[in-house]
Amino acid sequence: MPVREPVSKVHVEPPAPQKLTGRETVIRALINTGIGAAAFLITCAGLRIALPFPEIDGGVSQKFRFFAAHKDEFDTLFIGSSRVYFQISPAIFDRVTRKRGMATHSFNFGVGGMYLPETAYLLEQILDLKPRNLRWVFIEYDEMQTKWSPENQTSRRALYWADWKRVSLLLRKLTDAGTDPLWRPNPTKLRDIVLREEDEKNTRSLLAFYAGQFEKNYANFARAADVLDYFLSRDTKKRRASYLGTASDGYVIRPGQMSPSQAAVYERALADAMAQPRTRPLSSYAVEAYRQCATEVRSIGATPIFLITPNTPQINIATENTGLPSVVMAFNNPRAYPSLYGSNAHRDGQHLTKSGAEEFTRMLAANFVELARAGEVK
Amino acid sequence: MTFVEFRFLWFFLLVFIVYWTMRTNTARKVWLLLCSYAFYAAWNWKFTFLLLGSTTVDYIVGQALGRCESPSWRRFWITASVCVNLGVLGFFKYFNFFVSSASQFLAWFGLPASTNTLNIILPVGISFYTFHSMSYTIDVYRRKQPPVSSFVDLTLFVSFFPPLVAGPIVRAVYFLPQLVSSRRFSGVDVRGAVMLFLSGFIKKACIADGLAPTVDRYFAHPANFTSTSAWIAVLFYTIQVYCDFSGYTDMAIAAARLLGYQLPNNFNFPYFARNVSDFWRRWHISLSSWLRDYLYIPLGGNRGSRGFAYRNVIITMVLCGLWHGAAWTFVIFGALHATALLIHREWIRLTEGLKWAARIMRWFAWPITMYAICFALIVFRAQDLSRAGTAVKQFALFCGGGNEHFHRWLFFVIGTLALIHWLNYRRWFGESWRRWPAPVFAAAYGCTFATVLLFVPPHYTPFIYFQF
Repeated sequence: MPVREPVSKVHVEPPAPQKLTGRETVIRALINTGIGAAAFLITCAGLRIALPFPEIDGGVSQKFRFFAAHKDEFDTLFIGSSRVYFQISPAIFDRVTRKRGMATHSFNFGVGGMYLPETAYLLEQILDLKPRNLRWVFIEYDEMQTKWSPENQTSRRALYWADWKRVSLLLRKLTDAGTDPLWRPNPTKLRDIVLREEDEKNTRSLLAFYAGQFEKNYANFARAADVLDYFLSRDTKKRRASYLGTASDGYVIRPGQMSPSQAAVYERALADAMAQPRTRPLSSYAVEAYRQCATEVRSIGATPIFLITPNTPQINIATENTGLPSVVMAFNNPRAYPSLYGSNAHRDGQHLTKSGAEEFTRMLAANFVELARAGEVK
Repeated sequence: MTFVEFRFLWFFLLVFIVYWTMRTNTARKVWLLLCSYAFYAAWNWKFTFLLLGSTTVDYIVGQALGRCESPSWRRFWITASVCVNLGVLGFFKYFNFFVSSASQFLAWFGLPASTNTLNIILPVGISFYTFHSMSYTIDVYRRKQPPVSSFVDLTLFVSFFPPLVAGPIVRAVYFLPQLVSSRRFSGVDVRGAVMLFLSGFIKKACIADGLAPTVDRYFAHPANFTSTSAWIAVLFYTIQVYCDFSGYTDMAIAAARLLGYQLPNNFNFPYFARNVSDFWRRWHISLSSWLRDYLYIPLGGNRGSRGFAYRNVIITMVLCGLWHGAAWTFVIFGALHATALLIHREWIRLTEGLKWAARIMRWFAWPITMYAICFALIVFRAQDLSRAGTAVKQFALFCGGGNEHFHRWLFFVIGTLALIHWLNYRRWFGESWRRWPAPVFAAAYGCTFATVLLFVPPHYTPFIYFQF
């Protein structure tokens, strides 16, 4: 292929430099930098408004799109991790409440691996859709997670929720800065972070990671890939069904049971957990996040209900004096709910089997109706 | 910390503002030196001592060379400098490779040897700063460069952060004179620099990182893919490696320019080269010219018999391959380029004055050159020789492979990128932005950068040349 020498089509002489004093040069440079920065920030904000909800793995987008399309059909919502996703069947819940004279239509917005602060962000997005008939929102009650596995740190899932409201709480928790408007990082903790002391070995990189996530999220990093994914029809019917379940209510059955050896390990862990007092409170940062969630839920006229599912790691979480202005429905007492803690009802320490999940849903619905009748849940 | 991370932006803003606020040249140089070491320490602070040690040795050698006139002593000092520099490079980069290769070689002859490899971490950018440093002592030895009296100047030259970890390889004669006088902000082409940075950012963060997953998927298991997919992956890699490396270089040159320093150009549209010799005049120019001046010519260059000159080409190119990494794939990459260079030389010699040959080459020179480049890049990218063999078979002979395939519309992506590159080669994009009023330019730049970030893939792929 013959190639000619490059020809300059547009030859533009750079403008003749103006004679400016040093002070004028600095002022002009500062003004122009300010204009550039403002244009950058405004464009980011504008694009953020214009772009659709991101394509997030694990069923987040599928569930969100489905809920957005049917938002006025549901009056009850469950949101949380896999402990909600695979353990609460809206069909059973609605059947029980109907039988007891308090009909509901519920949707399970549980997503595998979704904890605070991701839950809080997603709940805010759901409430922004203004679902007119939503009356009760069950929010999983658990500690705020600050750790992300390195292999998931570059995923879109680790990015889409990282707005300032969420990231600031994480940064506060990591530096123990309290929940007051004025940040007051704990000096001892700061020293340990800087010196990478034993307990704070990875805190420095976590702080950098979350600050970076906030910047990336604000600047809409990688959002073109979302649009591309959306138009490439990754969201097929089959894929949607895999997250929404056969009844399109967000509940997916997870088969499987523990082997005898796994059951023995489970029984030991259960006994250990039961031997400890049930006094472990959540951090003030998690409580603050839940308080924000409760306020937002109430602002659309719904009632927040916090929920602890039956699982061994949460057995010793304190459910009294939580500091929340809402009900906490706690199933973390094996003595009160022995049928939910038998090894035949569990797939592992954190998840129930299909029959265990159905039993749990029935109990949840029955307790909920009783609380509603008693006027504790309005 | 890399140029495509937000934290680099904050780091650079701090460096830039404090640098231009300082009044004296010495203060600025000390500030830049501290920042450069901080930049390097962001990877592994322990290796800053290695960097400092290497620089100190070359400073002492430079001083000694400046003082002594005796040829034998001068030879001693330069040998000491080269041995120390190459010794450090050889230990950190090649020790395990040579030990395991020697062991395999002995085992081949039925002499099994127990070998102990060391758990050595490769200091990032060691190949680059070793060559920066060596250029100083060699140029002082050749009396092309007077020895610098200021330790700060030499340390800053070796550790100057923009080209520190992935080039371009800067020579002492090019950079040290720039440190003598104070830089003036009025002499900085800010617009040109920020546009160059944006162009480098797009090349690396959007194009190279966008293509990386497809390339990685193919080269992890080439045997699973069809020949068409092999072509897609190889062409993708050809684009990726160029955009990755030239993107880094653009950003490094831009960052240096914003601080008032010039770095040498490293790329000149290498994929428009019409022969392999031309390719090496356009690709990683700072390395190829370094090897030419400090290795090929001292070996004898083109002087002497044809065989002697060919030997020099082979040695230079094999070492060039080995410079890229401690693996046989890189050695073969160098050997392939040496072969291509020799074939080209022979063709020129045999067809001199033949019009038909010139006519043929008018049409076929470019595709043949590109094919040879792609072919060599397969070996360069492959994780081991067996996978390189599979990929080469699929690419060159259209045989072997499995059923997995990439979408054919990826050829459209290749075509689009090639078209944009060609238009840029023909200077189609122009530089009309230079005429825009400054506030308009600033606003447009901010909007463009915000839009570009949309196209950055969610995963981050490290710079390919960081490992070298």
